[in-house]
Amino acid sequence: MKKFALALMSLCLVFVAACGSAGNNVANEGNKETVKEAANEETKTEEAKPVKLRIYAQYADDDTKLPYDYAVAELKKEMPNVELELEVQAQDDGQKLKTYAATGNLPDIFGAGLDIISTFKKSGNILELDQYVEQFGFKDKMQPSAMNTLVTDDGHTYAFPYAGNEFVLLYYNKELFEKNGVKVPTTYDELMTAVKTFNAAGITPLSLFAKEKWPTVSLFDMFVTRNEPQGIKKLDKGEASASDPAYKEAAEKIVELVQAGLLPKGATNLNYDQAAALFHQGKAAMFLNGQWEIAESTKHLGDKVGWMYFPGTDAANYEASKYAFSGGGGPGGYAVNPDTKDKELAAKVAAFLSLKYAEYKYTERGNPLVATKVDKAIVTEYPPMMQQLSDDIAKISSTTTFAWGLSDAKLKAAIEDASQSLMTGAYSAEQFIEDVNKAIPAAK
Amino acid sequence: MNKFLGNKTAILLFIMPALLLYTVMVFYPIAQTFFRSMYEWDGLSEGTFIWFDNYTRLFQDGLFFTSVYNGLIFAVIITITQIGIGSILAFAVADTKFKGRKILRISFFIPVVLSITVVCQLWLSIYNGEYGLINKVFELLGLEYKQDWLSSSKSAIIAIAFVNAWQYMGYHFALLLAGVKSVPEQYMEAARIDGATKLQAILKINIPMMAESYKFCLVFAITGGLNAFANMFIMTSGGPGTSTYTLTYLMYRSAFRVGEFGYGSAAAAVLVIECLIATLIINRLIARERISY
Repeated sequence: MKKFALALMSLCLVFVAACGSAGNNVANEGNKETVKEAANEETKTEEAKPVKLRIYAQYADDDTKLPYDYAVAELKKEMPNVELELEVQAQDDGQKLKTYAATGNLPDIFGAGLDIISTFKKSGNILELDQYVEQFGFKDKMQPSAMNTLVTDDGHTYAFPYAGNEFVLLYYNKELFEKNGVKVPTTYDELMTAVKTFNAAGITPLSLFAKEKWPTVSLFDMFVTRNEPQGIKKLDKGEASASDPAYKEAAEKIVELVQAGLLPKGATNLNYDQAAALFHQGKAAMFLNGQWEIAESTKHLGDKVGWMYFPGTDAANYEASKYAFSGGGGPGGYAVNPDTKDKELAAKVAAFLSLKYAEYKYTERGNPLVATKVDKAIVTEYPPMMQQLSDDIAKISSTTTFAWGLSDAKLKAAIEDASQSLMTGAYSAEQFIEDVNKAIPAAK
Repeated sequence: MNKFLGNKTAILLFIMPALLLYTVMVFYPIAQTFFRSMYEWDGLSEGTFIWFDNYTRLFQDGLFFTSVYNGLIFAVIITITQIGIGSILAFAVADTKFKGRKILRISFFIPVVLSITVVCQLWLSIYNGEYGLINKVFELLGLEYKQDWLSSSKSAIIAIAFVNAWQYMGYHFALLLAGVKSVPEQYMEAARIDGATKLQAILKINIPMMAESYKFCLVFAITGGLNAFANMFIMTSGGPGTSTYTLTYLMYRSAFRVGEFGYGSAAAAVLVIECLIATLIINRLIARERISY
């Protein structure tokens, strides 16, 4: 009897073990999504030992794939002994990376935003790069205006940045404005008139991909910046309350405009493709997105598209707040795992990749908004809208931040939810103030 | 038999694999969730033990009540539609005089097999405010009743609940059909001889005898509704604003968006308790004694 029981028991265990390893295999398959950047080029006579580094970076569309590929190719020339194993960054609020950190499986180099930096700083999963910034002279390579992307609030550097300060722009279809006899609005009243006229003509006044919550926060922020240039950044620092006049009026104005039909039907369920299609096909008169939209809109609408300064409360306010831009940048870029074998090498690779990544964006992607200086000539000419922005950069008096640049995760979640609710028109400014105020951090 | 039961080592050996699996896969994580719900913890660093502070905060959080309320609405809608319509379909298909039973039996089950993402995408198009099927039908009928189904904070949760109800109706249908078929034929024969109508037979014989099937369906529908997540995650991301949050969604937001794993665990713990209570109540009220035919 005992023998039989033992035999059965071992059979069970074998079965369990088999199930277990099958599960592991599946998990490993998942991990193998990594794209190997194997060295196909002629192998130079190796001076240093070959090193393999794992990197977790954005690699999703042309705007992220091409610069990355370029940076890797340049790295092969500079440091032929380094081989990078890329793992594509998931669009998941940093969950995968945090899980890696929690399980001690963090890649050697990883793309980090402010959220990851502040979390990892506390848990000791990110290397402080100050000495390497000094050693590589990285500060001298930075655009002076983008220094805020290198150094965090505590005065230290945790990532080598490549993206500069980016902006939210209000795009508009010039042809639709002309055809319908609508003046490009400079004040809220004119904006309301435009909304009414477009609605009467069966045109959506403003297309917004409000399923993603950040555009709704940016729209709110644009209204706020008319009277409070620091916008949502001030809430993030705990220096303002949502019941302050600038924020209250902004919320009220949005509710009023949404009720008048500012947005397309079901805006809170529109993703980028759907909302952009409305604008690109001439069914919507205005569109809100970051300056990275310039290339795409120019491709579809040619010279019919432009971007406007945000309307003010009145003519005087319009002039005064013309260069108070919404958006901005923050610390972020390629960060290094403190447990990597050769810290200096990993930091060197991270710094090199950022520089080359920015270089490609600047020279080939028509994007002057990078963090670092580029001394190479531009290959792709700027589209007119980018030229206009580029001319304005020196005049910009203030910037704020995008929703993802908010450092307080609680406020970020609350303001994202509340701003999206504003887009339904059935959510009052009072509710907005109440919900946001609950999450505002204590002043630092 | 007695000899076998007397051998405690054998008993232990036989239950060990299942017990081990259950402990590692189910019991340990649940215990961890309860334990971690008493921490202020971001999922990475050490965390501080704060007793029941997370729960105190939870019971003062407006979002918690929205989530519980939405979970209840969701559970009620899917329970009524899935079990209600599932029963009607099951009784219809079980009737031998009913034509096209086979094809119907298969087609009712198709949505269950589909991926939830596919189903949600399908319904996103149906609900679309501009060109969605439902609004177009109203338009064709000349009715002005056009709705922004998923963008209105009031109707969104109901609209999403119907998607889930539609998808898993076939599941309950299959369970109930098996229940109908397991009722012995002689009871129905006796009822027919006594002159009972079809409806009377169903109400007086089938349904009471299928109490165990119904119990099972109820537990599934109600707990499924209380911890709904995938539908709202794909269709509205909890929006507009927070109007389609459920407890599972609150847990997700706290843990992954806000980085408060302790608070998220507290929400999860409440959810576990809620589902346990629902299951206990159902077990108390329905089919308390085993029915044997």
